[in-house]
Amino acid sequence: MKDGLEQVGDMMILTGKTVVSALRPPYPYGGEFVNQFLFALRLCWFPLLVSTVAFGYGAPGLQAGNFLILFGAIDRLGGFFVLASIREFAPFVTAIIVSGVAGTAITADLGARKIREELDALQVLGVDPVKNLVVPRFLSLMVITGLFNIYALLFGILGGVIATLTFNAPLGPFFSTLLTNASIPDLWGSVLKTTCFGAIIAIISCYKGMTASGGAEGVGRAVNQAVVAATTTVFAFNYVFTQVLLATHPEISVIK
Amino acid sequence: MGNTWTAVPREWIASFGEIVKFGITVTGEVLGGRVFKFFGEALRQSGILILGSALVIWGLAFILGLTCGLEGAYFNRSVGSPAYAGVFSAWCDLREVIPYAWGYMLSAKVGTGIVAEIGAARITDEVDALEVMGISSMTFLCATRLFAAILVFPFMYTAAIGAGFFASYLAVVQQIGEVSSGGFFLIFWMFQNPPDLLFSIIKAMSMAFAIVIVGLYYGYTASGGPVGVGTATAKSMVLNTVLVHLIGMLGTQVFWGQDPRAPIGG
Repeated sequence: MKDGLEQVGDMMILTGKTVVSALRPPYPYGGEFVNQFLFALRLCWFPLLVSTVAFGYGAPGLQAGNFLILFGAIDRLGGFFVLASIREFAPFVTAIIVSGVAGTAITADLGARKIREELDALQVLGVDPVKNLVVPRFLSLMVITGLFNIYALLFGILGGVIATLTFNAPLGPFFSTLLTNASIPDLWGSVLKTTCFGAIIAIISCYKGMTASGGAEGVGRAVNQAVVAATTTVFAFNYVFTQVLLATHPEISVIK
Repeated sequence: MGNTWTAVPREWIASFGEIVKFGITVTGEVLGGRVFKFFGEALRQSGILILGSALVIWGLAFILGLTCGLEGAYFNRSVGSPAYAGVFSAWCDLREVIPYAWGYMLSAKVGTGIVAEIGAARITDEVDALEVMGISSMTFLCATRLFAAILVFPFMYTAAIGAGFFASYLAVVQQIGEVSSGGFFLIFWMFQNPPDLLFSIIKAMSMAFAIVIVGLYYGYTASGGPVGVGTATAKSMVLNTVLVHLIGMLGTQVFWGQDPRAPIGG
């Protein structure tokens, strides 16, 4: 328990250091930022595509569609997708995929460097590992998670479209209820939320990678702990965020 | 890993047959009864699963149950039927979100844990040492873990559903408070029955089986030093998250696709 609290404290310190050294000149991390961004994009695009279509078709599409079809109100499925896909499930799935794919890759990469003592070597050479390794990963993961959210909700809605077609329902009412119910706070809330998810995942993955120890098992163990910690923290944060968003913006939960 | 845009899907296709073959071998070890030679080890692995993973899985189920309850309460308020928040909670928890929470946390905690352990044993030549001593490493390392999973997971999952239900109750009745406890439970239990629970368990156990097999495969075939273990762990997580979503979708389609199983209409 004490160990866990110490780690939380260390992660807070790392967050502070990262933000400070991201803002304070010089800015040597431009190239690494682009590299990391493309790296995450290459790894994540396909798993995210499969997962969001599958999730959108199964959970909100079929289950809610089945429920609505009992009342002959299948056109309302589009309105439900605002709640389901934009507000909850697209951010969920994005967070899981980013932490499972990009986060684990970051931890494995930094953990390997730590085990090979490359991080110590960098420090001896006068290169700050936080500025040159953590900051670009932190920034690129923040940006890419927010952008991936848009991608995920588009493909989530594609899942809903497939579900609507399997019910032999026309697509026009689906899109009209989707667009009348969608609101700007929904969208920016969703993007803001996933950007925060990206920051959480990046800090936890980098921290676990940079503190890996114990030879062969150490790196694997670090990846394991990183992904567990990232998932739990993201979902706990999500609950608080949803609560605040729904309570402070009552107009978004009005059915139009 | 990941030098070209199609690296991830191409690698899955390449290793899919290998994983299936490996899965059949390990399952054969368990069903053929050879695993009972190491029954003590299987029990030890069950103990590790319970002590190491149960709490965090129930914790995630609890958090997602809270989110489900919250969204359900607000959604039902918006359509003017706050008393029916139980429908949303019952379906959201039992059919979709708790199985997904289970799949996520299992691949994060158990799947990558297995890769890290067996991968480390492979890298440090412990697997070869077992073979030299005349112990089948496949039975001792892989089959025991699969058997432990079969022993423990159904109970752990049922308890996770309980945690999710409790959390939804807290969110809907105690936190939002627009429906009485009795009113919530009336609707909540009306919209689910034992076959639904059974379907949910089948869905979750299929996910668990896939996750354990993938974890065992990536651990057993790890190579390339300490770095290799880390890479294998990361790769297993990628494949597992996608498998969880695909199995979740197939389960929904098969069990609830044609018949919503709701006590409404005829």
